[in-house]
Amino acid sequence: MTGFAKAAIVLMSAVATPLCAQWFKITTPGIPRTPDGKPNLSAPAPRGPDGKPLLSGIWQMNGKYLQDIAADLKPGEVPYQPWAEQLFNSRRNGAGGKNDPAARCIPGMPKLDALPYPFKIIESPGMVMMLFEGFTTFRQIFTDGRELPKDPNPAWFGYSTGKWEGDDWVVNTIGIRAETWLDNAGRPHSDALHLIERFQRRDFGHMDILLTIDDPKAYTKPWTVREDLRLIPDTELLEYVCNENNKDYEHLTGK
Amino acid sequence: MRIAAVILLAVVPLTAQWLHYPTPGVPRLPNGKPNLGAPAPRTAGHPDLSGIWQLEPVPCGPGANFAGLSGAAVGPGCGGDYGAGREFGNIGARLAGGLPYQPWAAELVKQRSADFGKDDPVAWCKPAGALRLLTFPPYRKIIQTPAVTVILSERDVTFRQILTDGRSLPKDPEPSWNGYSVGKWQADTLVVETVGFRDGTWLDRSGSPMTEAAKVTEKFRRTNFGNLEIEVTVDDPKAYTKPWTVRLHQLLVPDTELLDYYCQDNEKDAVHAVGK
Repeated sequence: MTGFAKAAIVLMSAVATPLCAQWFKITTPGIPRTPDGKPNLSAPAPRGPDGKPLLSGIWQMNGKYLQDIAADLKPGEVPYQPWAEQLFNSRRNGAGGKNDPAARCIPGMPKLDALPYPFKIIESPGMVMMLFEGFTTFRQIFTDGRELPKDPNPAWFGYSTGKWEGDDWVVNTIGIRAETWLDNAGRPHSDALHLIERFQRRDFGHMDILLTIDDPKAYTKPWTVREDLRLIPDTELLEYVCNENNKDYEHLTGK
Repeated sequence: MRIAAVILLAVVPLTAQWLHYPTPGVPRLPNGKPNLGAPAPRTAGHPDLSGIWQLEPVPCGPGANFAGLSGAAVGPGCGGDYGAGREFGNIGARLAGGLPYQPWAAELVKQRSADFGKDDPVAWCKPAGALRLLTFPPYRKIIQTPAVTVILSERDVTFRQILTDGRSLPKDPEPSWNGYSVGKWQADTLVVETVGFRDGTWLDRSGSPMTEAAKVTEKFRRTNFGNLEIEVTVDDPKAYTKPWTVRLHQLLVPDTELLDYYCQDNEKDAVHAVGK
């Protein structure tokens, strides 16, 4: 098999969707609309009683960051530790895709946010939920003022707390299991990974996540990428079951 | 052979440490322990169903049969590290005369028991479906917000949405394991209607089937701080001769947090599952 074909399979395993999916059509309440009834996605971001932007809604990330988290960086801007660069290079063209837990239906963080399927943010007192159509899974981000735990159980999505800094909602995550890949290109991380996501809602229909990867074992200094998302109005999440008909795994290479 | 069927259900990470986190807002006795007999909390004019819940477990002891399979051996610790409730093994365990199976369904359940449940979707890391998420031994967390109530499941790190923003049920939804659920309040009871199930879901470890014809009604009633009754009515004329109703009694689990339970993480059981 050519390297290209292997890469294509890795790509397919990340974008498989049910062939017969029908999108739900509903009218999402609370969306500003133009006179013809279409959602006005450039209206100002809604704000809550505390004056902070509201983040609730169904969002979809620009798909390029799943493939390549450093898509917008220049060559040489990712500050690899030597072992991390070597490992990344060994994963070129989809090599070793079997070793990515996502091939076994476990995406990990920050890949989960970057899946091409929509996710829904729901704000509730003390906790923000992110419900992901991809893998039908969730993140909990605690906003009740608790500290990050000193020695969390390693978890696929880690342990997250969130707080406001001006109009940025800042989420800190630690305790992420080391096996996951940062992107389909194969950038690694270690158990020391500390993710800092700054959610910045630009207007009603657009949001950025300014994502900082702080992992001194794998990278010589923290590095930051800006990922863009768009609001998906007037629909609902579907059910995506990775393990229901996973035909990719046996075709991937790796141990 | 019996042991294999039991182990499938009892797998938990060996290194799991329960998280201790004092849940905010829990009323406490003078000794600091949660006062689970206090009145149910309220939010936005309704009882607040939010909290971490566990199906009332069967007391452990000689003869406890956590899986509910006919002839199955007793599991270690009555369900591993979690206590299991009777409805986990057989959702109709408390119904006089049992579930009103159609003849083909009765035959299927008999066959599935003889096979030690080897074709159980969850034994293959497939979804449990909306109702079974209410009976698994690992905990579930309910988060109630004005427009949606969410059930987060420790098992499989998955979720179910109950939409409460006034929308109607869709006419012809995509068949799914969880179906499509809308809820509305009737006095202090959240009444949830669900349609759009797919064929092939199991309602319990015994293999009671549910088909795509099913309509499910759930009535969620928090009777006090520590207790939640979920009255479930299944109307599935293809699999059952008449609608039936069971009560799933959930107990609040305070001062902890959900862990990660990923079936696909180091799954070694499926290849060893045996049956006829």
